[in-house]
Amino acid sequence: MEKMTAPPPNMAASPLPPPDPCFVLRGAQSAVHALHFFGGAQGQVHPLLLSGSLSGLVHIWSLQTRRAVATLDGHGGQCVTWLQTLPQGRQLLSQGRDLKLCLWDLAEGRNTVVDSVPLESMGFCRSSILAGGQERWMLAMPGRGNDEVQILEMPSKTSVCTLKPEADAKPGMPMCLELWQADSSPRPLLLAGYEDGSVALWDVSERKVCSRVACHTEPVMGFDFDSQKARGVSGSAEKALAVWSLDEQQALQMCRTHELTNPGIADVKIRPDRKILATAGWDHRVRVFHWRTMKPLAVLSFHSATIHCVAFATDGLLAAGSGDQRISIWSLYPISTDSSTPLLGHTEGGELPEVPGPWSLHFLHKAGFLS
Amino acid sequence: MAVFDTPEEAFGALRPVCVQLTKTQTVENVEHLQAQLQAVSDSALQELQQYILFPLRFTLKTPGPKRERLIQSVVECLTFVLSSTCVKEQVLLQELFSEISACLYSPKSQKPAAVSEELKLAVIQGLSTLMHSAYGDILLAFYEPSILPRLGFAVSLLLDLAEQEKSKQIKIAALKCLQVLLFQCDCQDHPRSLDELEQKQLGDLFASFLPGISMALARVITGDFKQGHGIIVSSLKTFYKTVSFIMADEQLERISKVQPKPAVEHRVAELMVHREAKWVKNTSDKLTILIKKIIECVSGHPHWKVRLALIELVEALLLKCSQSLVGSAGPLLKALVGLVNDESPEVQAQCSKVLRHFADQKVVVGNRAFADILSENLHSLATSLPRLMSSQDDQGKFSTLSLLLGYLKLLGPRVNFVLNSVTHLQRLSKALIQVLELDVTDIKVVEERCWNSGPLGASETAATQPRSPMQRRYFRFFTDERLFLLLQQVCQLLGFYGDVYLLIDHFMELYRESVVYRKQAAMILNELVAGAAGLEVENLHENHIKTSTEELREIVTSILEEYTSQENWYLTTCIESEEVGEELTMKQSGLQAITSGAHTCQVTSFPAFSKPSPTICSMNSNIWQICIQLEGIGRFAYALGKDFRLLLMTALYPVLEKAGDQTLLISQAATSAMMDICHTCGYYSLQHLINQNSDYLVNGISLNLRHLSLHPHTPKVLEVMLWNSDASLLPLVADVVQDVLATLDQFYDKRAASFVGVLHALLAALEEQSDPPKVDESDTGPDVEPPLPVQIQIATDVMERCIHMLSDKNLKIRLKVLDVLNLCVVVLQSHKNQLLPLAHRAWPPLVHRLTNDDPLVVLRAFKVLRTLGGKCGDFLRSRFCKDILPKLAGSLVTQAPVSARAGPVYSHTLAFKLQLAVLQGLGPLCERLDLGDSDLNKVADACLIYLSAKQPMKLQEAARRVFLHLMKVDPDSTWFLLNELYCPEQLTPPHPSLHPVQLRGTMGQGNPYAANVLCLLQELQ
Repeated sequence: MEKMTAPPPNMAASPLPPPDPCFVLRGAQSAVHALHFFGGAQGQVHPLLLSGSLSGLVHIWSLQTRRAVATLDGHGGQCVTWLQTLPQGRQLLSQGRDLKLCLWDLAEGRNTVVDSVPLESMGFCRSSILAGGQERWMLAMPGRGNDEVQILEMPSKTSVCTLKPEADAKPGMPMCLELWQADSSPRPLLLAGYEDGSVALWDVSERKVCSRVACHTEPVMGFDFDSQKARGVSGSAEKALAVWSLDEQQALQMCRTHELTNPGIADVKIRPDRKILATAGWDHRVRVFHWRTMKPLAVLSFHSATIHCVAFATDGLLAAGSGDQRISIWSLYPISTDSSTPLLGHTEGGELPEVPGPWSLHFLHKAGFLS
Repeated sequence: MAVFDTPEEAFGALRPVCVQLTKTQTVENVEHLQAQLQAVSDSALQELQQYILFPLRFTLKTPGPKRERLIQSVVECLTFVLSSTCVKEQVLLQELFSEISACLYSPKSQKPAAVSEELKLAVIQGLSTLMHSAYGDILLAFYEPSILPRLGFAVSLLLDLAEQEKSKQIKIAALKCLQVLLFQCDCQDHPRSLDELEQKQLGDLFASFLPGISMALARVITGDFKQGHGIIVSSLKTFYKTVSFIMADEQLERISKVQPKPAVEHRVAELMVHREAKWVKNTSDKLTILIKKIIECVSGHPHWKVRLALIELVEALLLKCSQSLVGSAGPLLKALVGLVNDESPEVQAQCSKVLRHFADQKVVVGNRAFADILSENLHSLATSLPRLMSSQDDQGKFSTLSLLLGYLKLLGPRVNFVLNSVTHLQRLSKALIQVLELDVTDIKVVEERCWNSGPLGASETAATQPRSPMQRRYFRFFTDERLFLLLQQVCQLLGFYGDVYLLIDHFMELYRESVVYRKQAAMILNELVAGAAGLEVENLHENHIKTSTEELREIVTSILEEYTSQENWYLTTCIESEEVGEELTMKQSGLQAITSGAHTCQVTSFPAFSKPSPTICSMNSNIWQICIQLEGIGRFAYALGKDFRLLLMTALYPVLEKAGDQTLLISQAATSAMMDICHTCGYYSLQHLINQNSDYLVNGISLNLRHLSLHPHTPKVLEVMLWNSDASLLPLVADVVQDVLATLDQFYDKRAASFVGVLHALLAALEEQSDPPKVDESDTGPDVEPPLPVQIQIATDVMERCIHMLSDKNLKIRLKVLDVLNLCVVVLQSHKNQLLPLAHRAWPPLVHRLTNDDPLVVLRAFKVLRTLGGKCGDFLRSRFCKDILPKLAGSLVTQAPVSARAGPVYSHTLAFKLQLAVLQGLGPLCERLDLGDSDLNKVADACLIYLSAKQPMKLQEAARRVFLHLMKVDPDSTWFLLNELYCPEQLTPPHPSLHPVQLRGTMGQGNPYAANVLCLLQELQ
């Protein structure tokens, strides 16, 4: 087990305790590499949390009992890197480093693999889906060629196209993907972060890059995109976060970069209400920022190893998965006391307090944000 | 067997005796007749009834003074005849009735004649038998208005007897007979049921006697307690049967407004009563006075059968006369309700039965008048409750609270009318809070500690035992334990029928308001929840809807949150807390609730010299508060059943924390709360509970370790958890152990003691796991060393810390550390690569412990050495012989002359204890280390001197034991050595060709080593 590299919090400097996780899930038995909240929206009071581990297992956690309710073993002991549920039915997609995407049926307590898609890239790239309520949905995954992205129509597994950068671009391997659709147009779009630190926007139907922007000098490890504000944020191995935007001509532009104390961001997630975002740090910490202003709000230290992934639930709960085999669950700036209230719209236009939470100053200071 | 079966035969036999009696009226002749009658069959007797009765009646009617004895025998004989025959003619019935009753008539006075008791009894018996022998229709015809004077005479005669007589037998017989006359006899021979008309006819007739009967009986009932319960019971029965018959709503409804003209002579008509509204009102008012008197007098009667009869009375009157006696409903209900908690189970059962019957029949709830009366009663009781609770003695409180309980039972859901009134709720709660005040002056509560670490007690029986018994507590305002039970029931009923949200809010507020109320409010809250769940509540109101589980869980969650909040859970309960240093920060931030200021300590009953200090009182109060809250958690578990499992993630940690508390009472309360949880949530032992929920516990521990100054007891929780679980949870705690070690590294100086406890528990758990899980080596390549099993890693890390702490200033810690070190060595025995370097580093401080420390530590260090010796003997042997043995041997030798000369006080000195410790430790170690000759000799030389009889006994014993160990290693040289010291016998060579051996040991009597050597040599053979 790794030792904490950071010095212990200096209690004398501030009488107020640092923020704690609400609770911690133990029992993943190996490093946690993927997290995904599931349910809670369809009348379920208590959502489930899915986690994927280095040892190839997917754990399903009940947030009510805070215990694993089921374990899925479908990746032959190889790391599970990505988890995603489909909007209709209780189906789960899991991506493993055994070069397989598994489609699980979780309805009525079942947990069986109903289908699988072979992967042809050994990389770390997580896949993405575009699914409305319909029967058919779209899947983007790393392709056969080193720099390719493969688009499939599901569930038929028909190949739609392969997105291959132009010969002179040389962006390297795709590192992370996000399929989306603008409100104004039905055309599917794909955002892809590449090994060379750039983010590109693909028009899937035309199989061409609309725009590309260089965000980082190191590979893009993770990004998240706010389609309403047409703004995205990405992290990489380097010591900075990049915020970029998409204008009406579908051109990507760098907005700003945000310097960090320690290098290495493994994952970035914007909360569903688009108020805050969280990053998974190699420095064992989760950092929380105000999404609009990028003002640093909190540094969450609990883990004793690299954080591999973060995830937000629709009710605002934050989960972080780490190499220390633990998953920490945090409740920050609760969205609403009533979890049944529809999230979006409810907080629309609302502002977070300037200095939210009594502990933040201390932490901003400690994390070097105020120096 | 009758001798004379036919009337003819019988007549032949009876005639002479009858004639004889008619001629000469003597007792002998009557007896003669009766003797003859025995031989006559019943049928023959019936035929001859009038004939036989004649001489008897003739005897009674003969004018002139008669001897009592004769009348008695005549009446007895008459009674005999009547008991075997039927009276078939009305005239005969009337005449006999008059003739028999007249036997007791004294023309001179209004009272029964002053005659013998035997005669009185005979007459009563005769009347009773007569009424039984009459044919059904004859009997009914008998009760016509014209009989009023004669019947009235008999009734008043009987009442007089019942009231005035001394003999219990006569009183009872008179009351029985009265019942017969009033058609209340429940024997088989009496007409069973009367139709409406007959009822009215009798009612009209008896109404004339009602004032006389009711007053006389009331006098009997309210008379001397000593007259025996049978008479009171019988009188009560007669009273309510008579009243409920004459005043029955059913009959009165049918009474016409105008009295029909009676077809009797004027004298009799005057006696008749018409039961119209005015009469009813009048009579009812008077009866109410009597009923109140009766209830007042009887409800506290010491005999349960009397109280039982009172319940029958209430039932009969409330059921049959709810309209006519509406004015008595209040006292009647109160009487009933007051008996709901009677000490006699029979009375209690009957009372509940009646209450249930009332509820079924909607007697109260369906009857607005009754419900209003009850609500009013409860209102006024609530108003006076605070005053009553402070002024009454235990018995008074008992009946007041019983009454309260009864009202609640009877009113059921309607109790909310009272609770919804703010003033009444306040009154009620004030009274409850006041009476439940605890006596917190008992110093034992603070003093009783438990220091043991290890598994919690009583874990095996969890599943089989019902709810754990409550801790005995002492109240300021009462001593009778039954009162507490009553108060519990009151609160439970309130929780069951009352608006539970309203009540919980109200008492929660009181709980928060002041420390003066807090404990009582918590007790009440606990019972309210139990009641709301329907635990131990007998529901009399079928359609009452219980609080739903969902609501209940919400309520329990909020109470739990309050109970376990920082300011209500972490209270000062002892002074000499080892964690005091760090707690200061908390007190500054105002989180610690030290309540001495706010809490007034009642010490009135204590003599001045033993008056406990207010801080003791406030600690005592804090202890009780925690206990009550713990008990509450157990109650909540029962209230929620299996659903409580969902609350374990927050509830178990604080309870376990208290299970490790040093205050005995708190630790006990926590343990029994956990037992309650086991029982309701389906865990078969405390271990099972802890094991199954260790993830929740570990979560709490790891988060609290982050703020150790706020949660100084966190290590204790981990310790208790480890002591009470098995190694299966090691993977789960692995990361927490790392946290603990990291925290320990930060706080060596301040918190070593509590952390050493954890390490001890941890290593004990590791040691138990004798079979380490095999590491799967298929994953790892050939170059990569397989990762260490988790328990080896932990033991290595812990042993590292032990090396630091071996030199701690605190003796207790050094002792504990040596224990932990010992366990580390055991766990690491199969991992020499880890153990040896650590043992190497631990060596210098260990040497220090052995050669330069407290005797207790020396002994403990020897134990570690022994264990080490078993695991890495070669390493240890040379080190021991080089670094330790010379010093120890040297000190033994130099100290020996001192102890040889010392007096008895010496055994209390440190020097003595050190000598003893070294002697005790050396033997087993030498054996374990398998020392070489020269080193063994060193040991033997140093110990030999202690075999001298001049040494203190204990040192001699210890030295002997050293040699016993040495014998096992090298018996020959030991034998030689001992013989050199003292040679008990001349050694004869086995063969004459051999030289005789002469050993140095002298045989003389004066040899101080003789006894011990002899003893040892015997062992050798």
